[in-house]
Amino acid sequence: MLIPFFANVAEPLAAEKLFNIGPLPFTNTMLYGLIAAISVLSLFGLGAKASQLWPKSRLAFWVESFVELVLNLMTESFGDRKKALRFFPLLICLFVFILAGNLSGLLPGVGSLTLNVNGQHTSLLRAFTTDLNSTLAMAVVSLTTVHVYALRELGLIGRIRHYFAGNLLNPMNIFIGLNEVFGEVLRLVTLSLRLFGVIYGGEALVHAISALAGNFGWAATLPIMFLEIFFSIVQAYLFMMLTATYLVMATSHDGQGSEAARRSAPAKA
Amino acid sequence: MATQIDPALIKGLTIGLGAIGPAIGVGLIGAAVVGAVGRNPEIQGKILSTAFIMIGLVDAVLAFVLLILFTT
Repeated sequence: MLIPFFANVAEPLAAEKLFNIGPLPFTNTMLYGLIAAISVLSLFGLGAKASQLWPKSRLAFWVESFVELVLNLMTESFGDRKKALRFFPLLICLFVFILAGNLSGLLPGVGSLTLNVNGQHTSLLRAFTTDLNSTLAMAVVSLTTVHVYALRELGLIGRIRHYFAGNLLNPMNIFIGLNEVFGEVLRLVTLSLRLFGVIYGGEALVHAISALAGNFGWAATLPIMFLEIFFSIVQAYLFMMLTATYLVMATSHDGQGSEAARRSAPAKA
Repeated sequence: MATQIDPALIKGLTIGLGAIGPAIGVGLIGAAVVGAVGRNPEIQGKILSTAFIMIGLVDAVLAFVLLILFTT
């Protein structure tokens, strides 16, 4: 064993249990996720409260600029401001919460504060997105939304025809449809595992670099920290954009532009 | 054949071989982005945002490699 410290330094793959609520274990990622959610909610709540036609507070100005930026981005990808506004709350919630969860892992004291649980030192706080359960939960929420809205928009037959398009007597079309359905299931895996893998791998990288650099860990981890901040923003953006892309793909009628979809919608209702 | 293989060798091979694919991918994306921005600089922002999505998708492979590397 040449390098024994990698395995010792990195945190375990599963989130550690802090205490039980009835039969359910309460883990450190859940605790930190709650803290991140409350801080994000209070920040945006304060921003919304101070929001005016001519914002005097600086916080309201920044929050509004940020929301406007994301809304413009969504309008661009949906191609329709009304449609973008319908899905906007979910998308910005995903973006901000994932960003807060990712960045909160880089704060000092996150891995080093420990709690004595049954004689073992477990870290009290751990970034929310370094737990596969939480990223899987977020992926399930976003993909459920995609499927519900697709069913509402296209109907059951249209939804099935979305996968099995063309003449169904041709076995090739059935094969393509099966592949599409498999890809749909695979989306859940990739969406959750990408976020988890990048953030957890990054945290393990920071630990490994600081262990390798010894006394100069404070200097050696600095570039890795910047890399981590970049990855945090990119992954949060990616999760939001992929959800938006899936929504666009699932709710658009095949072979028709959004113009035709808007014209046919009142006729159906 | 019960030869003992040093785990450090396996870890080195993991990161060494696993970094090839994402490196090529990011290089291709970078080349395409530079070409696209050179052709029509007025939609640079749009191109860059798409490029960051693609880089995030490709870098996820490297993240899986790091995940395997640090957790085994």
